[in-house]
Amino acid sequence: MPVINFLLDSEKIEFTCDSGTNLMEAVVEAGIELKAVCGGAGSCGKCQVIVKEGEVNQLAQGSLSPDKLKQGYVLACQTEVIEDVRIEIPPESRLSEHQIFVAEEAEDEELLTEKEIQIAEKIELDPLYKRVDLELDEPTLVNNASDLDRLYTGLNQRHDWPGLTTSLSVMEDLASHLRDNNWQTQVSLALANDNYEVSELNAPDYEQPDYGIAVDIGTTTMVLELINLETGESVATSGLYNKQGRYGDDVIGRINYAKQNDDGLDKLHQAVIDTINELIDDVVNKESIDYADIKTAVFAGNTTMSHLFLGIDPNNIRLEPYIPTVNFIPPLQAEELGIKIKEEGWIHYLPGVSSFVGGDITSGVLATEIGKREEITLFIDIGTNGELVLGNQDWLITCSCSAGPAFEGGGIEYGMRAMSGAIEFFEIDEDTYEIKYSTINARPPIGVCGSGLIKLIATLNEVGIINRSGKFESDFEHERLREREYETEFVLVWEEQAGIDEDIVITENDIKNLLRSKGAIYAGIRMMLQNMSLTEDFIEEVLVAGGFGNYINIDDAKKIGLLPDLPNDKFKFVGNTSLKGAKMSLLSKEKFDQVNEIANKMTYLELSAEDQSQEFMDEFVSAQFIPHTDLSLFPSVTETNSDD
Amino acid sequence: MAVEIAKQNWDGQVEELTIGATEEEGGTRTSTVTVGGETTLPFLHFEGEIPNKPVVALEILDEEPKDWPEPLAEVWGDVWDDPAKWAKKCVEEYGAELIALRLTSADPIGQDRSAEEIAETVEEVLDAVGVPLIILGCGDEEKDNEILKAAAEAAEGENLLIGFAEEENHSTIAAACMVHDHNVIAQSPVDMNICKQLNILLTDMKVKTNQIVIDPLVSSLGYGMEYSYSVMERIRLGALRDDDMLAMPMINFIGEEAWDVKETQASEEEKPGWGELSTRGIQWETAMGTTVLQGGADILVARHPESKENIEAGIEELMTESSYE
Repeated sequence: MPVINFLLDSEKIEFTCDSGTNLMEAVVEAGIELKAVCGGAGSCGKCQVIVKEGEVNQLAQGSLSPDKLKQGYVLACQTEVIEDVRIEIPPESRLSEHQIFVAEEAEDEELLTEKEIQIAEKIELDPLYKRVDLELDEPTLVNNASDLDRLYTGLNQRHDWPGLTTSLSVMEDLASHLRDNNWQTQVSLALANDNYEVSELNAPDYEQPDYGIAVDIGTTTMVLELINLETGESVATSGLYNKQGRYGDDVIGRINYAKQNDDGLDKLHQAVIDTINELIDDVVNKESIDYADIKTAVFAGNTTMSHLFLGIDPNNIRLEPYIPTVNFIPPLQAEELGIKIKEEGWIHYLPGVSSFVGGDITSGVLATEIGKREEITLFIDIGTNGELVLGNQDWLITCSCSAGPAFEGGGIEYGMRAMSGAIEFFEIDEDTYEIKYSTINARPPIGVCGSGLIKLIATLNEVGIINRSGKFESDFEHERLREREYETEFVLVWEEQAGIDEDIVITENDIKNLLRSKGAIYAGIRMMLQNMSLTEDFIEEVLVAGGFGNYINIDDAKKIGLLPDLPNDKFKFVGNTSLKGAKMSLLSKEKFDQVNEIANKMTYLELSAEDQSQEFMDEFVSAQFIPHTDLSLFPSVTETNSDD
Repeated sequence: MAVEIAKQNWDGQVEELTIGATEEEGGTRTSTVTVGGETTLPFLHFEGEIPNKPVVALEILDEEPKDWPEPLAEVWGDVWDDPAKWAKKCVEEYGAELIALRLTSADPIGQDRSAEEIAETVEEVLDAVGVPLIILGCGDEEKDNEILKAAAEAAEGENLLIGFAEEENHSTIAAACMVHDHNVIAQSPVDMNICKQLNILLTDMKVKTNQIVIDPLVSSLGYGMEYSYSVMERIRLGALRDDDMLAMPMINFIGEEAWDVKETQASEEEKPGWGELSTRGIQWETAMGTTVLQGGADILVARHPESKENIEAGIEELMTESSYE
């Protein structure tokens, strides 16, 4: 059997596999996280690795340049291992550790830094799993109720708990427990299906705290918070890439993977469960607690994620008329899903609204309390699905504008997520076109993240390198602007300064993709406003969620027409509201009920429906311009450019 | 009972634009054509001004057309190997006020004539007739950039209308028009937003708004004309609502589209139910012209003189004052 030696930055990993094994699968099996935007279809060209020694069988070469082919580059997903090989994994092909950013930049008004939503202070602690101390009357010949009835009576004297149930394991031990403890006990109640279940009995002096977890299942990244249910404090946080990434970068790619491969659905399901369990391992180890100490969990994620989490076929999500199997997911027990917390612990997944507006968004609405305000608020999740919510206490409308992954680095040659080495800021000298940039963690640049891309497009237009259509100006000449096969590209960082062995460039096609993404988002906003017969001026506050990096510059986002032209103080960057909402729901039954109300109340605007699609296309085309075809929508941005 | 006439008060106005320059104006034309200036919807004289009537131009090629159907060959066959003669016939025999010269001989997969040769042709036609010209490329982007630049230079001072500037390829031709002082046709693919974007790009280059004519790309009757029609209406409504970037006169190449479909080409033997070929095409072209006039067309470019005559007769009636006072 061939042996593969993987060479990473400083590590060496040896891996043995069968002859004919797909190299991508071997990489994954060996525990290395490789970029695979297209899910192994050979089309994205992100999974480039270098064959240093040995022969491999190349099924396809994709778009690898002759230069790279000469150096031994292959696409891992299109390569079979036949004999012993040495494979170098270059840094640009790897998914590096995800960074969770908290605002730390200067209090610059133009910069949108994350506003922490303080949860614990805001809510009254009433977690989905809680303990009640009870002292029961001893049974007598007169007071001869059963042990369980006695327990229920005791509980109901304290509070009204309609529909109490009890797990079998509790009933098994009930008699001896009550008698051993002289009818004093701590009863743990877990929210099951709209009712509480007596799930544990403990001695009156038992002090080990109960934990719960709140998890955001993002298409790209997953974040888990371990929470002490008695204090409401967050004890530990852990983040990882969603292991489903190897089967496709976006939800549609993964749905296709599930459809096209016999065991596709199983693999995707297992990948998300594995990621969750790894996150649990991490916090359990950090805090030295038992898995069984985690009593309950609340998950938030988009609708495709919920289906894959449950192992339900997601295929109808992407087929007209786009119907998910479930929006409101009944609680399930951890054991059924293979999640490593207390086996009988109840698992809650926050409800979704439609195929493309899921529990992550209802959770965000809960966390930001849009549905409680008088003022009209716009909530924008600048991610692949581009979910938007507009409304206030009286009404909530939502849509998904399918912005595509451009602002998360997808479909952009040197685009990347906000992680180490990502350029997040640019400055281009108007005369010399010298470029200054800064990267996350000040590492040598390997690509550009969302906030960097926004700044870049705005700057390129401002200094006259690209026109309002995003095309390079025909009279612009500079050594940075050059032609490559069928493409014009602009060099941002020369190889010598880069953390990779090539120039970092932005192509005309990249710019087009970004304009499409920002156009989709702005068109979605316009569609919601139009459906409510409102204009931009009615929006009191704009809440921006998304994994950008340290900050986004609002002026630049307005300059390119990504965000509506409203005063800067109306914008707030709210970060991962999906996780925050999940945490709130975990800690408060009232909030948990509210999120269900929110999901019921939100009106989903289907942009591909017959009565909307023409208008949406119209809005979409007019928004694919810098900043917009209707310049009057961006008065503050365009006034400096006007001729008069 | 008294009926009050409902009138819409529009804020905007279509730009007025003149094609051609006489000797006093620095050119050699004996006449000029002015279009645009409307402050109301097409022919609604009662609620606004329509200072200029729409114009029908005749289209000629700089080489013998390959696929023009019989009815066109009958009219032009004797002159169409010589653009100067052809232009003369348009003016002298059919009273054309405006001629559109399409430079198809420059096509790289055809005769591939050079920019110098094209410039000569343009000069010949300018010498042959006194009416202003519309000059159109062969359709090959790169080649058009070359020949239109040469044509613009050769016709310096004549204040012609030159096309096409498109979103993806507009700067060379727009620059040539600016330098040599001509008007430019901004062509967009049946899309009001792209039409507007192109006009913004052109004005960003400092092309004046009163030197641009919009070509919204009209499709043939029966082949999608209704899409173009509604786009034209939206452009005109935009102009009247004071959107500067939509306030340009519109041009429609009805001849090119009308004579390119089976209905204007198929013989009577092939399609007995369709009637006579000799009148069918003219009716097709006339129907297209009269329809787009209602959408706001300012310049129509026709291929058959009889269609031109029919449409002009219609325009004559439509330009009759219709106010209620």
